[in-house]
This record gives sequence, C-alpha cells and structure tokens, in this order.
Amino acid sequence: MNPYRIFLVALLSLAPILAGAATIEMHVNGLVCAFCAQGIEKKLRKLPATADVIVSLEQRLVAVALKDGQDIPDDELRKTLTNAGYSVITIQRTDTPIDAIRSRVGQSKP
Amino acid sequence: MTRWSEILVGALMLTAPACAFTKPIAFANGTTVMLEYGAGTMWEAQIFYAPQYNYSAGGGHVEFDSDITTETVRVTYARLNYLLHRWNLESAQANVFVWGGAGAATGNSFSGTEFAGNAGGQLDYETRRVYASLKTDLQKASAFSIRVDTLQLGIAPYQHEYNQIATWFLVQARQYTDDIHHGTELAALLRFFKGGAWIEAGVTNGGKLQAMAMFNF
Repeated sequence: MNPYRIFLVALLSLAPILAGAATIEMHVNGLVCAFCAQGIEKKLRKLPATADVIVSLEQRLVAVALKDGQDIPDDELRKTLTNAGYSVITIQRTDTPIDAIRSRVGQSKP
Repeated sequence: MTRWSEILVGALMLTAPACAFTKPIAFANGTTVMLEYGAGTMWEAQIFYAPQYNYSAGGGHVEFDSDITTETVRVTYARLNYLLHRWNLESAQANVFVWGGAGAATGNSFSGTEFAGNAGGQLDYETRRVYASLKTDLQKASAFSIRVDTLQLGIAPYQHEYNQIATWFLVQARQYTDDIHHGTELAALLRFFKGGAWIEAGVTNGGKLQAMAMFNF
C-alpha cells in the first residue's frame, strides 16, 4: 500500500480522538420530575458546542453530544445545571455516540 | 362564579396540554403561568418570571367567593417567590419556598379599594413515585384576612421518564379562614404532565370541580 495512503487512513482513524470526546455524561441528583427538569435541556441546548441533549430520570443522567471539535468546560456545565436547580455529581467525557446512549437508557430519537 | 363560568374554566383546563406542578419557580430564565379553579370558592391566575433558579417575580389575581356568606373578595397582586432551600437527593427532591407581595383588593363587604399584603410558603418532597406538599397562602387587608392551607399527597402508578406523560393520583385537603368555606375540603385529583405543560383536575367531597393548569416556558 502507498505510504501516503497508510498515513491518511491512520490520520482519519485518529480524527475522533484528536477532535476530543463526542459526548459528555453527567450524573445528577434531584432528577425526579420531567416537568421541572426541562430547564436542563433548554439551558444545555443554548450552548454553542451542544449538538444534542438526553435527560434520563431513571439513570439520573444528562448527556450532551458535542459538535465536532468542540467542548464545554466543566465549570460551565456545573453552572448550567446549578442554574436549572440541580446538583451535578460526576462529569465524564466519552466517545460513545449520543444515539447509543439514547438506546442504552431506553429512549427513542425524537 | 356562575355555573356556566365554572364549566368554561373546567373545559379550558381539560383541553390544555398535559403535564405536573405546584412550584412557584421553574428554572433560571423560565416563565411559569398557573391557573387554578378551587371548587367555586376560589380561582387564581399567576404569572412569574425567574431570573435565577432560586427566585421569581410576577403577579396574580385571586377571587374568593364564600360558600357560607355572600362575601366576595378580589385581589390583584405583585409577588416575589424565593427558594429558601432545596435538597437534591439521589432519588428525591425536597424544597422550601417562601413568598411575599402586595396588591389591591376589592370586595362586597367593604367600599373602594384596599391595600392587601400577601405572604406564604410551601414545603414539598417528591420521588418518581410519591409526592407530598404543604402550602399556606395569606391575603390580608384591613377588611379581611383569608388564609388558604393546602396539603397534597400523591402517588404515581408508574415511574415516568423524561419524554413520557407523567400520571399522578392525588388527595388534597384544604382549609380556608374568614368564613370562605366551613371545615376541611377534600378532593381526589388526577394529574398529568409532559414537557412544559401540567394539568390536574378532580372533584371535591362537595361534588365540585377542583382543577389546575400550569405551563413552563
């Protein structure tokens, strides 16, 4: 195989890693009522780096899909959820696609 | 209220989009609109805007119509709500709210318009299966002092998910002062909510409609 082609394939396979995490998963306390938790989704969707948001009351989980190459600092995430009235317990960045998380928590795509 | 206006208010509430309430503050930069029809003795409309998650400001209008005497009282008021404390637990949330305000009152047992003060508070606790709240709300002027105390206990037949309709069965016990209603008024209620809309409706032990609708946006 042409060495340039090998380099290109390797570069493309590294792209998601170089671009950073695809998704941020946050575990949140106090998530018991969908009516009250809608502020979380509204606030997160307004952030420029947000591509999609999932809220799961069952898993006490808020997941944010990031736009390519973008991120949201932890401080901003904590501030956003605190302003919605909730307490963030953990913040974790993963490469798991948002649709896989949606499937894991038993939700269908809107 | 006349029988026809009772039916109209009830019908409007039942045609509103479904969802669940009773918190005077939604979320930061959120607006809450609430309408309540209280079994012919009280109806109230409120609108609040929350600049932060822990306080909101706005106003409302409440009318009391005694089912003991011929007294009627109407108060239009401005109000500030404050979240005194919130406990965000792993599978539950509890809140303490307080509020205060002032407004103008008219009625058939006094002449002209009177200054009225408003104060109240609410304690609530909820999981995805149980709900309890205790609320007290006072409207006071030189000609009247009406306090409404409301206890609600609820149970959900299933644990709703974020994008599902939530369903709750509730019992409500309410007492009025100032001869608005004698004794404790009991009501059985059915509550639904989804997205930013909430509605509950039911019947009191006197056979009257008790209903509420609330919207967050």
